[in-house]
Amino acid sequence: MTKQVFTLRVNGRDHDVFSEPNRTLLDVVRDELHLTGAKEGCGTGDCGACTMLIDGRNVTTCLMLAPDAVGREITTIEGLAEGEQLHPVQQAFIDNGGVQCGFCIPGMIMSSVALLERNPHPTRDEIRMEIAGNLCRCTGYRKIVDAIETAANANP
Amino acid sequence: MTTTERPEHTAIGKREKRIEGPGKVTGLTQYTADVSLPNMLHCKLVLSPHPHARIISIEGRDALTVDGVTHVITAEDLARGTKDGSNPAVDASNRGDALLAHREVVFAGQPVAAVLAETPWAAEEGAAAVVVTYEELPAVLDVEAAMQPDSPLARPPVEHVDRSEEAAHVTIDVQEEESEGKPTNIASHVSFSRGDVAQGFAESDVIYERTWRSATMHQGYIEPQSNVASYEPATGELTVWSATQGQFHVRDTVMRILKWPETHLRVIAPELGGGFGAKMAQSPPLVGALSVIARKPVKLIFTRHEDILAATPAPGAVVKLKTGMKKDGTLVAFEGSIAYDAGAFPGAPAATGALLMSSFYRWPHLKVDGYEVLTNKVSAGAIRAPGVHNAMQAIEQHIDEMAREAGLDPAEVRSANAVRTGDPMSSGKAFNAIGLEETIEAAKQHPLWQSRSAAASRASAPNKRRGVGLAIGGWLGGLQPAAAELLLNTDGTVNALTGAVDISGTHTSFAQIVAEELNLPLDKISISTGDTKTAPFAGMSAGSKTVFTVGKALREAAIDLREQMFAVAAERLEANPADLETEDGEVRVKGTPTKSIGYDRLAAITTGFGALYKPLVGKGTITARNQAPGFSAQIAEVEVDTDTGFVELKDYVTVQDVGFAINPLSVEGQMEGGSVQGMGIGLWEEYIYDDSGHVRNAGLLDYRMPTAADVPEIDSIIVEVPSEDGPYGARGVGEPPITAGGAAIANAIADAIGSRVPQMPATPERVLRAMGKLGGAEAAGGG
Repeated sequence: MTKQVFTLRVNGRDHDVFSEPNRTLLDVVRDELHLTGAKEGCGTGDCGACTMLIDGRNVTTCLMLAPDAVGREITTIEGLAEGEQLHPVQQAFIDNGGVQCGFCIPGMIMSSVALLERNPHPTRDEIRMEIAGNLCRCTGYRKIVDAIETAANANP
Repeated sequence: MTTTERPEHTAIGKREKRIEGPGKVTGLTQYTADVSLPNMLHCKLVLSPHPHARIISIEGRDALTVDGVTHVITAEDLARGTKDGSNPAVDASNRGDALLAHREVVFAGQPVAAVLAETPWAAEEGAAAVVVTYEELPAVLDVEAAMQPDSPLARPPVEHVDRSEEAAHVTIDVQEEESEGKPTNIASHVSFSRGDVAQGFAESDVIYERTWRSATMHQGYIEPQSNVASYEPATGELTVWSATQGQFHVRDTVMRILKWPETHLRVIAPELGGGFGAKMAQSPPLVGALSVIARKPVKLIFTRHEDILAATPAPGAVVKLKTGMKKDGTLVAFEGSIAYDAGAFPGAPAATGALLMSSFYRWPHLKVDGYEVLTNKVSAGAIRAPGVHNAMQAIEQHIDEMAREAGLDPAEVRSANAVRTGDPMSSGKAFNAIGLEETIEAAKQHPLWQSRSAAASRASAPNKRRGVGLAIGGWLGGLQPAAAELLLNTDGTVNALTGAVDISGTHTSFAQIVAEELNLPLDKISISTGDTKTAPFAGMSAGSKTVFTVGKALREAAIDLREQMFAVAAERLEANPADLETEDGEVRVKGTPTKSIGYDRLAAITTGFGALYKPLVGKGTITARNQAPGFSAQIAEVEVDTDTGFVELKDYVTVQDVGFAINPLSVEGQMEGGSVQGMGIGLWEEYIYDDSGHVRNAGLLDYRMPTAADVPEIDSIIVEVPSEDGPYGARGVGEPPITAGGAAIANAIADAIGSRVPQMPATPERVLRAMGKLGGAEAAGGG
């Protein structure tokens, strides 16, 4: 397929990309922008490891074509921390033991950030429902729920 | 949750955050799929669509016309990828050697050809254009049918069985016997016996007999199998980046299969995205050979579909078991067999399963057989505690059922008959120090177990029934020598180097061990995993032995470093080494804190220009000869919808003897993660095969792993009965928690509905059938 130039706005910066238009946003961000934080665990939208924020909503980017993200605000895991200051959700994942192998974590954290934007004070059951699209095989989820709850408790 | 205060320790026994956490939460940590090299080719495998067929021809001409495709490689070509021109795929008995199928495919999903291309999508298009002509052969799909002497053979006879995977996980004295004489599908058989089983049943007041089935399941790591290899023709160097639990195992496997000299072989293990026994060394020899043939770097990342079809899932099993008990609750007789569905290559844990199924209680009379049965399905590999959940499913339901029949408390029956330190396993070998009794006791005291009689009244609707179940499980533990190295840095900090891949928080525990021995804060210690050319030897991170062995080596290295520091300090401070102590990054004379020398100064005078002393390098090398078995007891509360058969988990407790919890936060993480895998085994996870031997659910939508919404809150109870040989009394932690969940849930379901589901997972259909609400036999091929 013929390559095209298009512009993606990622983590507050515009990037001109020269790529085949039938590639997924995940592939383009990983391979062309070299932001490899988002992971591919299934390629079919079932595991959530590729989750990024598109205009603030959590989206499984293995199912989204890159040109469909043109003109939208894309936030990846690399865009969360402010310099040396981790995002409160990132810090809470470390503090609560919510991180083990780490492969699901970029997607899990992006889903958590989106959740807390929509609902700053979720119950534990609400947290569990909201992250049900992000599979983790290491933690058994309890400490991830603890982490999100801890981050929520810091919300005003 | 443990809250034990440990004033006697400065660093170990404390809840510590993962030291590598910041890299992981920011997406900066590099995994194998993140490795990208100049001129790298991407590999796509052509998989067999048939469970058993002869390969008539492989035609790659059309594939090579796809823009970007550079190579179509078949088994015949592999001799060009080995050092000595040998071809491992010819007459391969073991999965490891069968890099690509040679002349015959023996499972649907077996790699037949490899297409290399400049982009992943060209490789995919190329693979779709490869034309393979097959002549289908009869497929052997059912374990019990495959065991019959007149069964057709699933594959050509196995010449030699490679047991390195099983050995990486557990050390057992008795090995399977490979079948001899007329070829059958039984790749190996092992048998243990004690006493007189007939006499045992004659003495029994309660006898229970049943057949149990469990499914083939995937280990479920979120990072697919990933490997990159780069061959440099000018130097002859082959470098492999592998998503593996052990880079030395990858090195040795590539050396053995490709005959590649280890002087010219470097294996790098980037951070691992979950392994659970399945990230060993399956694809590195193939990717290495492809890079040698193509003379360019080659990357192979499985899709999830390929990972389910063509990696190495955990085997399902059929258990036939008869047990006998006296009416006072004394266990008397055990007679049973466990037959694992190994798939098309040997490697299933027949000896482990038979041994552990029959060794956790004091049976005066026992006979047990373990079989490894070949079928035309994807070949099985290891998992967290390979083979144990299949065994616990059976024995733990027998204990419950006999207790119910005799009107006894099943937890009391377990306590009374549980093996103690020094008791023999069914193989005759004695248990080292164990804490099974203490583990069961802690479970018995838990409010969830204490309140179980009230469970029925907690049901949320009239058509729902609640039940509580308890089960135990355990793991003997792997053994392997290990080495570790510590360098004192010029700023007084310490760098540790090991060859161990961190799959479970072991780097943090390692840092705690070094901090404890050198009396340093955790942030003054760095832990690195070296590659196979730089790191001291470590075995695979498997078998719950990483902290148990490498941690012990690191402790010795820290003690060695401290002694070297004391020797230099003693000379400088004109003191006796025995009178020295460490405090605040200094070596001091006890009672005279002003007489001291900083760690930074010690480093300077042992490394600087014109320094008088030898560099301070702590080394630790250990053997590991005494296993430290770890036991788990788990309690599940379920609610069964009697109209739909749907089972909901309402509450869960996981209890485990870990010997000594070096990092209770990590230990709980292992216990909770393992327990949830057990929930998947008990309720949802299975390879669903159709009648023709094809997996029907090769994706994460249909292969149903537990989500956060499926699982209840888990209460983790740490029990600490010290082991003889582990560092500070620690035992292996990772494996025991997966072993008991399926059985605990099965017992809870039986408590709720009053009948038993003889097949795991307990799907709604199987639950309704157990309740007599569905007629007919188990659907064919359902695991």
